[in-house]
Amino acid sequence: MRTVPIALLGSVLVALAACGSSVPPPNTEWEAASSDVGQATSGGAPDVPDARLHLQLAREDLQKSKDLINKDNRRALRLVELGRAEAQLALSIARAQQAQDQARQAQAELQKIKGAQ
Amino acid sequence: MRIQTYAAGLRRSAVATIPVIAVVLGACGGERIPPKQLVDARAELGKAKSGVAARLDPTDVHEADLALQRAESAWNDAPDDPNTLDLATIAQLKAQVAEAEGTNLKARQDIEQARRDREAALAAQLQATRGSLDKTQQELAQKASELQRTAEEAAAQKKQLADLEAKLKDARDTIAKIAAVKDDDRGMVITLSGEVLFPTAKWTLKAGAMAKLDQIAEALRGKEQPMVVYGFTDDVGTRDSNMVLSEKRADSVREYLVSKGIPKDLIKAEGKGPDNPISDNGSVEGRASNRRVEIVVQPKKT
Repeated sequence: MRTVPIALLGSVLVALAACGSSVPPPNTEWEAASSDVGQATSGGAPDVPDARLHLQLAREDLQKSKDLINKDNRRALRLVELGRAEAQLALSIARAQQAQDQARQAQAELQKIKGAQ
Repeated sequence: MRIQTYAAGLRRSAVATIPVIAVVLGACGGERIPPKQLVDARAELGKAKSGVAARLDPTDVHEADLALQRAESAWNDAPDDPNTLDLATIAQLKAQVAEAEGTNLKARQDIEQARRDREAALAAQLQATRGSLDKTQQELAQKASELQRTAEEAAAQKKQLADLEAKLKDARDTIAKIAAVKDDDRGMVITLSGEVLFPTAKWTLKAGAMAKLDQIAEALRGKEQPMVVYGFTDDVGTRDSNMVLSEKRADSVREYLVSKGIPKDLIKAEGKGPDNPISDNGSVEGRASNRRVEIVVQPKKT
């Protein structure tokens, strides 16, 4: 009968291991994410409404993450990843918007030239 | 830390562990409705995979795919863990990044295409402008050569005219040696005495007259100037007979000149009888000078 609790204990350990583990403070990740926010900001995200929203969310995620570092590092890391994804999306949206504006402008110029012919 | 706590508890009571295990396992799996974030992430990735992004640059799509796999396995392993929701959200965001990057790439391709089209259009314009410039230049060159030709023709005509005038002057000089030559408003007038040309009351030319007319014809030939031969008499006799005589004499001179090469249609004859005397018919000398033939060489019509 003594073997049964030991087997159960093993299962519990496996199950717990799957759910969580000790995570170091994600300082490096946080710096990288902060740098992504900086890039999105300088890349024009504040000028594009949709991008501005994601930039704001990224900042909020990073702030929350900072507050959680050394308290709940696992959650802090997730928030950093989330914030980083938001920052990247903000930059992508801004760039796409800029490219589309340029494309429209190029098309308009082309039409002007064709119209002059 | 938590593992040790649970383990310590288990060691104390094996029976008490069973509900704990159930709770722990229940926290890690089970058939549940997936959270909205995961459903959205799946849909978003589907969109990214079927959009321009997957075609133009699949890197971002692949990253989004990996993020979704991570979220899916988190959902399988720990559906209640708040991290699962975050991972799903991250996957959704990455799929959106892939889409935005696709839009970006597509727009850049459009810009490139517009730039190429613009260059082609400008090149076509340039070509067209060059073409019309060439045409204008050709037309200008043609106009210049036409102008040159016109100038040459004008110079040639001028020279011809000068030659003609010179010839005419020669002719006049020649004729002046054998007859009276003067100019009036009718043109150059060559006056030949009736006595020199014809026997009294006759209209057949004397031999000496023919010699003179030969020289005159020679001088006037080829000038292509219209002429009129006028016959004049004095006022002795009836007017009718003088008119007839003067006509016949003028005709004689005309026919002779025609026979010597003056074109028929350029020379006319007319009898004036006693009209237009040049001297007084009251004296012998006056009547003699009134009996005459005048050849009027009219200026060439230009």
